[in-house]
Amino acid sequence: MNPKIPIEMIVNGNRVQAEIEPRRHLVDFLREDLGLKGPHLGCEQGACGACTVRVNGQIVRGCLYLAVQANGKVVDTVEGLTAQGALTELQDAFMRRNAMQCGFCSSGMLLAAAELIEQQPQATRAEVREWISGNYCRCTGYHSIVDAIMDILEAQREQTE
Amino acid sequence: MKAAAFDYIKAQSVPEVLALMSEHGDDARLMAGGQTLLATLNMRLSEPQLLIDITELTELKGIEIIGEHLWVGALVTHTEIENAALVKKYAPILCAAAPHIAHRAIRNLGTWGGSLVYGDPAAEWPACSIAVNATMVVRGLQGERRILASDFFVDLYTTALAPDEILMGTEIPLANAKQVFSFQELARRHGDYAVAGLAAVAKKTGQVFSDCHFVFFSVATTPVAAVQAQSLVNDQAVNAELIAAAVAAARAEIETMEDITNSAAAKSHLVGVLLERALKKMLAE
Amino acid sequence: MELNGEQFIAASVPVVWRGLNDIAVLGKAIPGCESIERISPEEVHAKVMFKIGPVRARFAGKLLLSEVVEEKSCALAFEGSGGAAGFAKGRSRVELSNAEGGTLVSFTTEASIGGKLGQIGGRLISASAKKIADDFFQAFAKELNPLANEITDGGVA
Repeated sequence: MNPKIPIEMIVNGNRVQAEIEPRRHLVDFLREDLGLKGPHLGCEQGACGACTVRVNGQIVRGCLYLAVQANGKVVDTVEGLTAQGALTELQDAFMRRNAMQCGFCSSGMLLAAAELIEQQPQATRAEVREWISGNYCRCTGYHSIVDAIMDILEAQREQTE
Repeated sequence: MKAAAFDYIKAQSVPEVLALMSEHGDDARLMAGGQTLLATLNMRLSEPQLLIDITELTELKGIEIIGEHLWVGALVTHTEIENAALVKKYAPILCAAAPHIAHRAIRNLGTWGGSLVYGDPAAEWPACSIAVNATMVVRGLQGERRILASDFFVDLYTTALAPDEILMGTEIPLANAKQVFSFQELARRHGDYAVAGLAAVAKKTGQVFSDCHFVFFSVATTPVAAVQAQSLVNDQAVNAELIAAAVAAARAEIETMEDITNSAAAKSHLVGVLLERALKKMLAE
Repeated sequence: MELNGEQFIAASVPVVWRGLNDIAVLGKAIPGCESIERISPEEVHAKVMFKIGPVRARFAGKLLLSEVVEEKSCALAFEGSGGAAGFAKGRSRVELSNAEGGTLVSFTTEASIGGKLGQIGGRLISASAKKIADDFFQAFAKELNPLANEITDGGVA
């Protein structure tokens, strides 16, 4: 039963090969096998969003995605996206607005926010709140996070005018 | 919590899947988006021996016009439906409903077919599929058959799909320009399981609605159409008085079921609230 | 969680009573029953696989009868362990009465479900329990037919 399955994927721009037990979640593979501690484990049920990572350009729950499913795919965590500079403006906004305290939700928040900014650049404050309701924060009370995201959206909209 | 160990196979064709299902029976689980399955496995509420990953089956993919119908493959994700121009044009209520499903990260993987086949009472797609008169296309070792959405949801978590069958996708009659719709969902927080919901679709000429579908979800064990309310409204000029009558009819005819957050009486009340909002919105269009 | 109900069964009270005490009948009628064993006149052990939606939870259960009034009523205490999935515990009271054309089975049940199943499944515990009860009675009624013939043939009142 369950021989390990050989897989190959690109993680944060690097080719990774491994043999993995089918039941291993992507987030556990990233954290334990690759040492990428950016994504966190909260509920392991898909509700809290702390494990959010990007696969083939889309956010997914790392706890509801098997490492073997990532075979042949491109995976990005907050570490890789930071190194690429893909999150710089958003991260600056988070700092300015004090949108991070303990940091547990932040990786997931940043990844979710980045997808919103890309996919729904016209989002209103209400829509931002709805979008990030898939990421729980126990520290900030959310307003500062929404403020940070709105800062980026408004700056973007101003630029394109 | 971590799932118990299982074997994993990525299927390449429908015949392969059907053969595997026949061989392993209930010891194997099909995995499409996995958003319900993996959560269940994580909590050890199920410990299958084998996961059959069906995400490579091209026959189950795609959104396209085929003849008089909009085909939505079983593997189409909630996000794909939300963004599809063809769906916006020919089955717009689906685009309105999609953002209510869980959260974006889950919508990126979760599938139309997965939601339909589980038939969770609080799910959006089963009610919507009935409201748009969808036909489910299913395939088993005996061949292919078609099942009307209104016949598909039989009981709690029970559909008309046989244990050896797989849902290929759905055929949806193209909405015409006269179609109006309203999707209503009440939840305590955005993305939570619905407390009560309504998928309402009708044809509108002037003030007259016809071909009405008022399909409620999360008020009973399956989606339920307010048949009396539909008959009351069909081919009548809709005004405040008719809306009130339809609301009363819907409240009377639907046998609501309590759940952990609301009594049956509260659900009945909400049935009326949602129908009133939907009718007013559709009238104003 | 409470589950109260009434179920009409088209069979006489003696037949229904006998069926409810026959582990061969119960084994076929309980949805997902994998094994059933009578330990004593009052105690029955069973292994049941609950299948509701995505859940497949195998429970090892114990049933204890008490306050037995032959062909009329009894009390049941039950508890089951579902391993990692959770556990269940409860009490039930069953009463049989004559009805036109058969028997009316009235039951009241109080149960608590704990562990993961209780937490996550809590939303639909009542609906699930009702479905299991409905499925049970349907299968039970079907199983009673051979028993009915046996009793009338044997001339038992």
